[in-house]
Amino acid sequence: MRFWQLSLRSFKETYRDPLALGFLLAFPLMFMLLFGAAFGGDTAPSYTIGVIDEDQTTVSQSFVSEALASVPTIEITTFTETNTALEQLELGDLRAYIVLPEGFGEQVLLSWQDGEADIALNITYDESDLMASEQIIASINTATRAFARIEIPVTINANPINIETEITNIDYIAPGIIIFGLLIMIPTSARIMLRDKENRFLSRLLTTPTRPWEFISSYSLSLVAIAITQIIVFILLGWLFGMDIVGSILLAFLIFLLTAICSIGVGMVIASLTKSENQGESLSWLFSMPLAIVSGVWFSVEFMPSYIQTLAHAFPFSHAVDAARAVITRGVGLEAVSGDLVFLAGWAAGIFILGTILFGRTMRS
Amino acid sequence: MTGRAAKATGVNDTFAIETFNLTKIFDGCLAVDGIDLAIKKGELFALLGPNGAGKTTTINMLCCLLKPTGGTARVMGYDINQEPYKIKEVIGVSPQETTLSERLNALENLNLIGRLHGISPRKLKTWSKLMLETMGLAERARDQVRKFSGGMKRRLNIALALIHNPQILFLDEPTLGLDPQARRAVRQYIARLNGDKTILLTTHYMDEADFLADRVGIMDEGKIAALGTSVELKTEMLATHTMVVQAWNLTQKVVNDMRSRYTQVAVDKGSMTISDQRLDFKEIVDQLHAAGAVVRSAHIKEPTLEDVFLKITGKGLRE
Repeated sequence: MRFWQLSLRSFKETYRDPLALGFLLAFPLMFMLLFGAAFGGDTAPSYTIGVIDEDQTTVSQSFVSEALASVPTIEITTFTETNTALEQLELGDLRAYIVLPEGFGEQVLLSWQDGEADIALNITYDESDLMASEQIIASINTATRAFARIEIPVTINANPINIETEITNIDYIAPGIIIFGLLIMIPTSARIMLRDKENRFLSRLLTTPTRPWEFISSYSLSLVAIAITQIIVFILLGWLFGMDIVGSILLAFLIFLLTAICSIGVGMVIASLTKSENQGESLSWLFSMPLAIVSGVWFSVEFMPSYIQTLAHAFPFSHAVDAARAVITRGVGLEAVSGDLVFLAGWAAGIFILGTILFGRTMRS
Repeated sequence: MTGRAAKATGVNDTFAIETFNLTKIFDGCLAVDGIDLAIKKGELFALLGPNGAGKTTTINMLCCLLKPTGGTARVMGYDINQEPYKIKEVIGVSPQETTLSERLNALENLNLIGRLHGISPRKLKTWSKLMLETMGLAERARDQVRKFSGGMKRRLNIALALIHNPQILFLDEPTLGLDPQARRAVRQYIARLNGDKTILLTTHYMDEADFLADRVGIMDEGKIAALGTSVELKTEMLATHTMVVQAWNLTQKVVNDMRSRYTQVAVDKGSMTISDQRLDFKEIVDQLHAAGAVVRSAHIKEPTLEDVFLKITGKGLRE
């Protein structure tokens, strides 16, 4: 019964490491809670839609302020010029924009009086996310019918735009997958420092006059080298599978690099807080997997409740996904993603300062 | 800060290490109980004690790897709470466990630690060679450490502590797990360093402390239970003398006769150990002869540090 004795030993070891055991139990629980919160219930996504009211009648104005504003899946931003709305659409700040043509109010009044009218709307949308586009068109159609009190669908002149190139599935999915690959740097980074902790080599290094920031940077530097290789491999693989980088490859690389640095920083913080490889790895996965879900790596963040979106935007990875998609699929430039880049760089700096402080504290405990 | 700790603000040039009410408590468990210790520059000081006595915790606090719960210490004039990096520049540490990078070779390990201590590559080249030769590792210099035997790892462990030529050396059980030959080589090397460096050595081996140390501190339950030179400590034991006799015909009659004369008489496999405040070698041999025993050999046993420890703490060093 040697196997039984060995099993018993493994069971005891797991049982006697309450933190690791806690993580094991917390991991699936956390997943269920997160998936439930993100996709459960009747949560509808929220898309930002531009409106250009060319009709400028009382009816068209109340259509915007009452009918469209009450649609839970959309948020309205009004524009006076079509060009401005198109620019915002190209930058990815809008999902679509609607033009209410002249005579729109008149047609609605006709429908209210006779029940018959020819109501038309012009919608221009970003076709890179087909699922979102269909949902937007359906929502607007429903809202217009309800407002005009008609049962047949209104005429929607759909104008899908594809800014630079034809977007394929791989173009849309690949940036998220690359960010996910870089999120996995969290457990890898934690593991490297914790291995030194566990085999006591770190305690030898701690007898030298090396400062905490030097430790954190040295661990990170080697990991950044790995990350750079990883990014190159990811981009090459994406390219092999048909991913087309419309924008600057250097800009995309910079976004990925900053993402990797953020992941490494999180790994360093986790390694500073935990004592064993087991604990560190469990905590890393507990952190990185839910973060991948809420950051829009696989599913659009817009499908999630607003509080999950707020949570996601507090971390750098959703910004990285947005920026990478904008550069890769829409070919936007540095200016368009500068906000995301600043956020990523700030987060990277912050997490490294936190890691250094925490490591400094654990150096003498 | 306690009254003793306040003294730490004044630097004393004579001492390499001074502790002032140094205390460490782990989760309510008192590991080091307010020790006051002063080790002179160039002195080789051995800290003895059973497992859990607080030796390693004391060393870890002095090496700035652990923050004391109370009190403080000065190492080469630097306060362990205020100037840990200054201290790390002047100390070399050989921890109890072998702390090496298994995937680096011996030379790479030495170079890494040397560079972290700010030694120039040129100096390191010479020093590493010398160190590897001294520790008998020159032929395996370019082998990954994971391929080393336990003894080789331990020798490299000590070499890492010495690579930057530190002023103070902390050696925590440096010969533990070494075969007798390697142990002798390490001891001889430590003996050669004596006088040149201040060395704080912890060991289980009484003979090692006896052979190497200028002074010995015996630690028990977090306190310094006895302090002095080996001779001083053993002299305290001279109040009781012990004679060991190997003899034939150690009958019950002989044992009873001796027990009626001396405080302690123990017999084990043809050997009789007699202890008392006063012993006369010739008188005992005569008494044994008269009782019918045939004495083959007899000697007065010198007290050992183990005896000192037993007397002070009432338990063996390996308990």
